[in-house]
Amino acid sequence: MRYSRFSSLLAGAMALALVVGACSSSSSPVASSGGETGPVTITYTWWGNADRASRNEQALTLFKKKYPNITVQTSFIDFTGYWTARATEAAGRSLPDVMATDMAYLREYSANGHLLDLSKYIGNTINLSGFDQSLVKAGMVDGKQIAIPTSTNTLALFYNPDLLKQAGVEPPAADYTWADYNKFLAAVSDAGKKTADGHKIYGAIDYATTFWFFLQWLVQEGKTPFNDDGSFGFKEQDMKDFLALSADLRKAGQIYPVDRGIQLLPKGGFTMNESASEFSWDNFLAGYVADSGTKNIQVMPVPTGSNGTKGMFWKPSQLLSAGANTKHPDAAAMLINFLLTDPEVGAIFGTSKGVPADKAQRDAMKPKEGSVDATVVAYEKAVADQVTAPVPLPVKGFGSIEAEYKTLGEELDYGKITIDEFVKTWFAEAATMTQ
Amino acid sequence: MTLTERMTRTGGPATAPPSAATKRRRAAETRAGYAFLAPWLLGFFALTAGPMLASLFLAFTNYNLFAPPSWVGLGNFQTLLHDPRFAQSVKVTVAYVLVGTPVKLIAALAVAMLLNNRRRGQGLYRSAFYAPSLIGASVSIAIVWKAMFIDRGIVDQIGQFFGIGWGGWVGNPTMTMPMFILLTAWQFGAPMVIFLAGLKQVPAELYEAASVDGAGPVRKFLMITLPMISPVLFFNLLLETIHAFQIFASAFIISGGTGGPAGSTLFYTLYLYLRGFQDFRMGYAAAMAWLLVVVVGIITLIFFRSSRSWVYYRGEAE
Repeated sequence: MRYSRFSSLLAGAMALALVVGACSSSSSPVASSGGETGPVTITYTWWGNADRASRNEQALTLFKKKYPNITVQTSFIDFTGYWTARATEAAGRSLPDVMATDMAYLREYSANGHLLDLSKYIGNTINLSGFDQSLVKAGMVDGKQIAIPTSTNTLALFYNPDLLKQAGVEPPAADYTWADYNKFLAAVSDAGKKTADGHKIYGAIDYATTFWFFLQWLVQEGKTPFNDDGSFGFKEQDMKDFLALSADLRKAGQIYPVDRGIQLLPKGGFTMNESASEFSWDNFLAGYVADSGTKNIQVMPVPTGSNGTKGMFWKPSQLLSAGANTKHPDAAAMLINFLLTDPEVGAIFGTSKGVPADKAQRDAMKPKEGSVDATVVAYEKAVADQVTAPVPLPVKGFGSIEAEYKTLGEELDYGKITIDEFVKTWFAEAATMTQ
Repeated sequence: MTLTERMTRTGGPATAPPSAATKRRRAAETRAGYAFLAPWLLGFFALTAGPMLASLFLAFTNYNLFAPPSWVGLGNFQTLLHDPRFAQSVKVTVAYVLVGTPVKLIAALAVAMLLNNRRRGQGLYRSAFYAPSLIGASVSIAIVWKAMFIDRGIVDQIGQFFGIGWGGWVGNPTMTMPMFILLTAWQFGAPMVIFLAGLKQVPAELYEAASVDGAGPVRKFLMITLPMISPVLFFNLLLETIHAFQIFASAFIISGGTGGPAGSTLFYTLYLYLRGFQDFRMGYAAAMAWLLVVVVGIITLIFFRSSRSWVYYRGEAE
């Protein structure tokens, strides 16, 4: 009985979607959805900080103006707590109508049908004509469009020119290798300069203990990190090789001390202006500028791999999904479309989630010369021809194996375990986590 | 015992068979009793007993919240045996219980004995010393604690003043345990109040008699105070031990929910939480939870058994 009601609702929704698609150019408020009359209330959840919350609220104020019959209830939390809360809701089949999702967790949610297949809305309610098609595919798992990315980002090296000047070290050249980067880090740390507070200036934290940098390196080495069947495209030796890259720096104390880094959380050596460089996603620039209090942070591409290419990839960020349990799929699809494609929303968020995936949103940003948004957009333009690889599509349990890599990385930096122990433990844990 | 004795002494009803009217009245009273109990019963069965039974079932399954649980028998418990992080979490927790609990109880007893003497403003002192245990378990105190023990925090500065370069404790795996023990010892208020009540019960004539016999303060403490307060000591020891096994919130806040640095604050319940809510291995986490219940139960049993030989109840000895 429940099923039949659901399918009739679905049929109604599809019929309506066709109508909506036919007149999608008009901005007239679409009141009812699938047999419903009158106003509906849907829920929308994302992770992030107060800054992202205020941008979302601005966007939703606009949404309310355009769709007065749809009321959106919002909530947000930090990234880690976010997935705990969502998993609990998934267990009770009570996911939000619209929610932000990340590549790392898509497979879990897909495998058990927790997210709505949005394909039937694409082309009518959801207009993705301004999207790069490969990007849309990133949200497709097992043939279902369970998520659509709002933005993209790619890895970058950030550096602080003021600290480099103080240390008397030049930033790496554009075609630098991982070995060159090591030399650069050693030079900055060995300069022995101190900040005004008397803290020693270092080159960077240990890059080898971040899982995504390992994946980037694997791609450069011509490996596919994750196979379609969910198995790994790398072996224990690959991980050992990558961890060995920074082993000498660890031994010589030429990386930013892990014990101080831990105490500074959620800030870090780089945002305390005690460490001269850091690898991260390019949309982190806004946060770096805000946290460090210095506007003078430069962005450049990642090191070149052994085959002479950088093998960068676009990572779809902040995907939007609808819970499969939603009672208002049409309203949810409308909100998703609005957040993905409305030009004004693009202007509100800027590059804070990454560079918008939709062309109209990108064009609407009109970033000021020298602003954070302008820097990030210029960076993504400049590296576009070096982005040659597809993003590694995370396996099931990715969130856990990434966290495990980080935990072990901390123990490695503390000198509590060896590289061999690291790799052995990681593979043993990962085997259970990706089951 | 005494209550039933009194009832049989006063009451005819206990000897004569009850009349039909009395029966009806009693049944009505019983119904009313259950009606008043209903909110509690509902809460107990729906929110405590039900979930506990569910978790007992889950302990024998693989359950990731997304798919229905699948039965694995004792698989989770077998995995625990070979889990190095589990061993680490047991090590950390046992160290905390073995050191933290005695330190806290000694602090509580020492302060209670100081406050037991009559002096002006003792009400103020008692409140002041009790205050930390009211707020100590809160999130804000954990945050303050972390701020005190980081690089150049107040503790580091005090250390530097005395020429000790211990730096920040938060990032130093060997110093995190002392930091947590200080945090728990600082919350000595609750056991202190109980000790204080126990100390008040010690008859003054015992001390007077001992003084006449020429006993010094140490001897008085060992031969009179300790035996006389052994029931409250037992109570405090039991409660604080169980409490120590359950440390979670402060460790979660101070380590940023990771159990770091380098696993040095990976307390049992924190590890359980990470497995359950970070890795979504609910069955494994449930198995850990039940193992903890059983172990704490056994420890409690041992305490009660051993108490016969070292706890002195005045009433019983007559």
